[in-house]
Amino acid sequence: MSTERTRTERTRRRLAPRTAAVIYHVVMVTASLFFVVPLIWMVASSFKTKREIFESPFAPPTSFDLTVWTSAWERGDLGVYALNSVLTTVVSVAGILVFGLLAAYAFSRFRFRLSRWLLLPFVLGLLLPVQSYITAQSRWLDAFYLLDTRWALILPYIGLGLSLAVFLLKGYLDTLPRELFEAARIDGAGDFRMLVQLVLPLMRPGLATVATFSILSCWNEFLLAMLYIQDEDLRTIPIGLLAFTGKYSTDYPTLFAALSIITIPMIGIYVIFHRQVISGITEGSVH
Amino acid sequence: MKADRRWTPYLLVAPAFLLFAFVVLIPAVLNTALSVMDWSGTNQMTFVGLDNFFRAFRDDIYLMAYRNTFVYIGLTLILEVLAGLILAGLVTMRGRRTAFYRIAFFVPVMLPMVVIAVLWAFVYSDDIGLINSGLRAIGLDEWAPVWLGDPSTALIAVSVVSGWIYAGFYMAIFYAALQRIPTHIVEAATLDGASQWRIFFSIRVPMIRPIIEIAVLLCVTGAFQSFDLFYVMTNGGPDHATEIITTYLVEVVFRFHNLGYGAALATIMTVVVLALGFVFTRIRARAGGAGLEY
Repeated sequence: MSTERTRTERTRRRLAPRTAAVIYHVVMVTASLFFVVPLIWMVASSFKTKREIFESPFAPPTSFDLTVWTSAWERGDLGVYALNSVLTTVVSVAGILVFGLLAAYAFSRFRFRLSRWLLLPFVLGLLLPVQSYITAQSRWLDAFYLLDTRWALILPYIGLGLSLAVFLLKGYLDTLPRELFEAARIDGAGDFRMLVQLVLPLMRPGLATVATFSILSCWNEFLLAMLYIQDEDLRTIPIGLLAFTGKYSTDYPTLFAALSIITIPMIGIYVIFHRQVISGITEGSVH
Repeated sequence: MKADRRWTPYLLVAPAFLLFAFVVLIPAVLNTALSVMDWSGTNQMTFVGLDNFFRAFRDDIYLMAYRNTFVYIGLTLILEVLAGLILAGLVTMRGRRTAFYRIAFFVPVMLPMVVIAVLWAFVYSDDIGLINSGLRAIGLDEWAPVWLGDPSTALIAVSVVSGWIYAGFYMAIFYAALQRIPTHIVEAATLDGASQWRIFFSIRVPMIRPIIEIAVLLCVTGAFQSFDLFYVMTNGGPDHATEIITTYLVEVVFRFHNLGYGAALATIMTVVVLALGFVFTRIRARAGGAGLEY
């Protein structure tokens, strides 16, 4: 009798955590599905016919014919948009990193008279919403004949990214020990050599964070790209996709294919570099 | 430290500062100047004093946009910050083997907002949409409204998408903060017989309070500036039910070419956001530079 009881007690004690684990994972999988199902539905729908999309929205596709994808790619000029996005992003992010690092290096390492006054606008820029100056900015860029050129996006993207870059990189630089620079100085290193041989290697994690955040912001940027670019050949992905949606508004399989083509590579990169992506975005936002 | 040459620091700061001045500072100053003008962009600019501001406070659509923005803020605090906190709590409940969930929750954050907006417009669609198809499949036809076309559901529908995107973002922030709580504190509570539930609300949440405050302000200031989702999914409609400050601003400036008035609307918004931002920095200073490591 007593051995019987202890045995049931023991099994119950052993079972309880397992049931708890099962319940836990059921809850978590359900929560994950909420985030993932729309994306799965998008990809699945791209392989269906229009009729299947209407009649059996939850059924898996019957065939995996990639011709819809290739036709969406060609008909939607997605190649052009992707190339524009790559160009805009690469040049902007390069500008943000180079100019940001140079300025952060000066603000962090040197004492000079206007230091505080020159830094202040960048800090203010962190809080300033883009909408607070787009009205004037659009006319201002127009006055220099910059609208409808790649620079209409690249210059504002660099400007928008610089605030955060200067602020974050200065923060990282401030944590480097003074002795390091004093030792380099005694060894006869000049300002520029210190930057290249000392700062650059030590700043790699900081630069990676700024790069991740900036790449995603430029790649995904929509408002300025919509307002400043009318030329179809210069459109970036977000605007190109929107134009595509307008043009093929009822051709659902093609639309879902276009959405998938844009989304899947990003998710692929994200899954591989998820640590870097997540910390880049969160650190960039909670500065 | 002193530079080798006196002008070196200026030379280093110059490219960043000049570019920043060109695209942000000068336009910001010009924008403020524009807000006391009447200008269509092509006609003669005339000085109108504070008329644009008086007009703003009597503009029903503009006031409605504020109301909608505040409703949106309230909804996103629940759907983004609170949901993110709950997800973070769930993820930290059982220690290891949660990477998969964390990665899944965060997926929408890195995707282009436009892509998400287009995708969710389909999810909400009455013809092919996942939600209404699902509701019909279980016989709830009456419960299947035209989500984005009905003034009573449109704002909530857009807010849900916002939550879909950002709940994972706040989860990541809270998760990083929760990881930094010393394990012995939680272990001590467990030995005292506290339940997981109790540990979460009485120990973990109070300990990450500074981060929660930052998240709340980030959510509020972010909500003021959101645009993409609203523009693509509803463009302020139906009947201004989802009109927010930014969609109205863009319409005034780029569709009605009322640059002076638009600039004034932007100036008002800037004051509101900057005020919130200063609260943000104060709290941040109090939080003592709690950095994040994921």
